Amino acid sequence: MANLQHIRRRIKSVKNIQKITNAMDMIARSRFNAAREALLSNVPYVAKTKEIMRRVMGQMRGQEYEHPFIKTRADLIAEQQEGAGKFLFIVIASDKGLAGSFSSNVLKAAHDTIEYDGTSESSSLDSDDDDENFHKKNFDALKGIKPAGKRTPKQQRQMSATGGIARSAAHQGGADSRTNVSVAREYHDADYIEGIELITVGRKATTHFKQRGYNIIKSYHGISERPQYKYAKEITDLVMERFASGEIIDVTLIYTQFKSAISCAPDDVTLLPIVTDDYTKASANLKEEYIYEPDVVSLLDKFMPRRIATRIYGAMLHSAASELSSRMNAMSNATDNAQELVGRLNLFYNKVRQAGITNEINEIVGGANALE
Amino acid sequence: MATILLEVATPDKGEVYSKDINMLITRSICGELGILPKHANLLTELIPHAMRIKETGGETKLFISGGFMEVTPEKITILADAAEAPDDIDVERAKSAYKRAEERLAKKDSDLDIDRAEAALARAKARLLVKGVPIP
Repeated sequence: MANLQHIRRRIKSVKNIQKITNAMDMIARSRFNAAREALLSNVPYVAKTKEIMRRVMGQMRGQEYEHPFIKTRADLIAEQQEGAGKFLFIVIASDKGLAGSFSSNVLKAAHDTIEYDGTSESSSLDSDDDDENFHKKNFDALKGIKPAGKRTPKQQRQMSATGGIARSAAHQGGADSRTNVSVAREYHDADYIEGIELITVGRKATTHFKQRGYNIIKSYHGISERPQYKYAKEITDLVMERFASGEIIDVTLIYTQFKSAISCAPDDVTLLPIVTDDYTKASANLKEEYIYEPDVVSLLDKFMPRRIATRIYGAMLHSAASELSSRMNAMSNATDNAQELVGRLNLFYNKVRQAGITNEINEIVGGANALE
Repeated sequence: MATILLEVATPDKGEVYSKDINMLITRSICGELGILPKHANLLTELIPHAMRIKETGGETKLFISGGFMEVTPEKITILADAAEAPDDIDVERAKSAYKRAEERLAKKDSDLDIDRAEAALARAKARLLVKGVPIP
């Protein structure tokens, strides 16, 4: 039979856990409010940056500008066919756990994006961002390319990585698109990992990818809950520098998009290169051309980093709000569960106590009867 | 009188300013610019300065720490790193930033330091100008 003292101790420890989870819930709640506030304050800025970007790129379309970050689709595909450089991914997760499945969801999505196998579902197709169609169109263009002869491992890797770019299309293209492009899952291959570089935000992301042997060129810890613009800028500077030097040819951002206090989902977006084909003339929405002061190239040199930093910062804010809302939900669930457990243990405790009393009475009555 | 919509947004504070105005006097990397309604499309980079906004009620100043400006005939959009109205500016902080920057410039260490100090000096100056405080 269960020992009364033992049960009492258990009830006490569950109650203590409940106190902790409750406190964590409240902390997450107040931080979440701050994070949501920060996110909402950022929204108009992001929207305006995007608007301007659209108009500028809409005008650039079809014109010949020599700029390292802006490419036509044809150039891009030619470059990837050559296997010219590495792919860089920026993964934003959390520093701490105890946030339900927040980290594991975003890390899973990161693997899906990084190690594209041509079958995974895309989460980004429906979203409104001007960059999202990038994947799809690239894939459509690639469908026309037949693998030519025997490939070196590096080229193969590039082909499969290119498949990664084309991810969203599998969604629509279905089986036939998979047969046309070699998108074999090669991520167990050390060679494949070699062609990938990572920037991680959050301890969880860093340890996860470090264990799996990925090459992390930079990681940021301690900022996941309260991101600052200067870190986004730092990441942008690093990315721009590596991109400009030609070491990397594609930059993708993976983060968790905040939708509401009870819903968030991982999302990915291609930051670089910017492909002019994706911007329609209509989105320019201007009767006359811009006057650029001083001139278009030097202006874009400054504007592009800002646009990318804005996107990264926005993603960090989304991720922070998502993390805290996940933690809030996880902790309030834990508190509720603890409450339920205490109730059940109390019932059990009382049953055991009564059984003991009944037993004692029986013994006393039995003993009295025996004496008569 | 014709008006043009001015919108100023920053990454941290959202939309800082949004109003129909008569004229905007601002400073880009190419020099001072006056923007009136129905201006041609323009895209340019702004330097840290005290922006002057002419409204029906008079003139207000706004501190801009640098950023980008897009002008269309109906609307001016400014994307700034930071933008502050006179009431939001901390005079003491701007003054001490001004002194610090000046000291750093006097020392003349490396190239990078000078660039940063010069930018800090420009920002502090613009802040004090918006506030209407004489520069020390």
